[in-house]
Amino acid sequence: MLKPNIVTAIYWIAVKTGAFERNGLDVVENPFPSGQTAAGIEQLMRGGIDFYLGASGEVAHANSRYIEAGKPPPIALIEGGVAGGSFFVLRDDLKGKTVDDLRGQPLRIGISNPSSYHLILLRAFLRDRGMTTDDLKWRFLTIGGPEMLPAIVSRQLDGFLHDALTTTLAIRAKVGFEFMSSDRGDMGERAKQLPGTGVCANRAFLHAHPEMAKRFTQSLRDASAAYSAAPRAEMVAIMSEWSRQDPAVIEDMYDRLDPRVGMTRQAAQTWWDILGAAMLARGEISPKLTVDDVFDLHYIGQDT
Amino acid sequence: MSSAREVERTSALPPIVRDDFARHVRSADRRLRLRRLLRGGAGVLVILIIWQLMSVWLDLELLLPPPLTVLRDLVVTLAVSDSHWLYGPNIYVHLWHSFLRAMAGFGSAAIIAIPLGLVLGRVVTIREFVMPSIKGVYPIPGIAWIPLAILWFGLGNAAVIFVVFATTFFPMLFSTEAGARQISPTIIDAGRCFGARGLSLFFRIVLPATVPYIITGLRISLGGAWRMIVAGEMLASQDGIGYFLMESRFQFKAADLMTAMILVAIVGYATEKLIVDTIEKRTLEKWEVQPS
Repeated sequence: MLKPNIVTAIYWIAVKTGAFERNGLDVVENPFPSGQTAAGIEQLMRGGIDFYLGASGEVAHANSRYIEAGKPPPIALIEGGVAGGSFFVLRDDLKGKTVDDLRGQPLRIGISNPSSYHLILLRAFLRDRGMTTDDLKWRFLTIGGPEMLPAIVSRQLDGFLHDALTTTLAIRAKVGFEFMSSDRGDMGERAKQLPGTGVCANRAFLHAHPEMAKRFTQSLRDASAAYSAAPRAEMVAIMSEWSRQDPAVIEDMYDRLDPRVGMTRQAAQTWWDILGAAMLARGEISPKLTVDDVFDLHYIGQDT
Repeated sequence: MSSAREVERTSALPPIVRDDFARHVRSADRRLRLRRLLRGGAGVLVILIIWQLMSVWLDLELLLPPPLTVLRDLVVTLAVSDSHWLYGPNIYVHLWHSFLRAMAGFGSAAIIAIPLGLVLGRVVTIREFVMPSIKGVYPIPGIAWIPLAILWFGLGNAAVIFVVFATTFFPMLFSTEAGARQISPTIIDAGRCFGARGLSLFFRIVLPATVPYIITGLRISLGGAWRMIVAGEMLASQDGIGYFLMESRFQFKAADLMTAMILVAIVGYATEKLIVDTIEKRTLEKWEVQPS
């Protein structure tokens, strides 16, 4: 999984609440740094890991290459988050501007990787308004999540597209504001319930170990239930430990992030309609790729 | 073996014998070149066949695209005819930007490293003061400078140029310093006997004697410049061949990734031929120095 990264906090909640143990699993962590979403998918393809928490768009990219070659898709998204958790932060002095106001201005926007989920979501938002990122004339610069804040402080960036934690840090440091938030509906009403975090696995592994997949996803669902039931302070402490951030930061971030999983067939279709369509329009994925080539919700009892 | 031109120019043999010998040398040269070409070609062919077989037999076409797929991708990329181009500007813009950054870093390193190397090679006192510091910094790999470069220069050209500079500076400096230091005192004394002093001694004796070493330093550094430009652009740039390479990784397009690698190899080789070979030819011919 991506670590340290707040979007994968549900894993640590599962560990700390004993969800994996209760489901008979002994999990070994294999962390990938922020932005290295492709590395996890590459490892899944090679069979180096069994499950991967973090990516969603990359699954479509990887599977599309196989579909184009006339081969079956190797990876499946088997579970996902319940909220988009995508934020577009801009420098404080750009407050009050709209996308149209900023169109054509030479803004430098940080993204954690070129196939960033947040960037795909922005492209989907623009596509609905008949625009592309090229029309904006902004520069999208690849930079690790932890470096986004120093970059905006030192004016190397005018904004960034990232998660709730980086957004909270920018707001706390009084260098940026929430220009757009998927959870607030700024990127479209349907984007509110978009599964931002993905749980993926190699399909060959899933066929060979279906019980393992069911127990793994059940563990994450148990952790989600524990999150809902537990006192806020307890979850703040767990997420603080996972993200290596001060509890006060996590407390500030708490209402911006829902780390729970709970993928549904409808959410998968929304993901496909919004993100899949944006990727298809840009030529990133094959027109032959279908929603079933990306998702396999069989293991959470939500057949696609 | 002597070249035919050298035989014709330097031989004291009678003209008829000399021409015969020159023809023989020319023919031997041609045979040697043909043999090298055939052997080199055969080596490349064997690698391509193994590559093709591994890719197809082991069903690795998506992880290790076969050479024909990569070749087709290369042609499409160079023809700018990919209807699903995902990498911003066309390939020539990426290559041009990488070339400019590589040359800026490499050129600025050469401007500082070569004179400094000459001074360090010839002036013991300065060498004793400066060399320990330089040797202390030298082991830091170029890629380790990237975070600091981003901090100092921001996300953009300057950071990439700086890491290229940091990578290419040391091989040039050490080669030049070694070349300047190894000049035999006898040659210096001989120059002095002929009246060479100060700048004339430097330009007529020290610099020509050091040129083969400088050329070697330039050659090693230029390779390093291309290696580092890719790493730098992967982390701190929005265009260039390194950016193309990284973006293709995130799109899981292994053929594009290999196309980018082949283009780096081609441009790197062409740059070396264009720059280092030209400098080598001009300086060695001018000063009639034997290549090292």
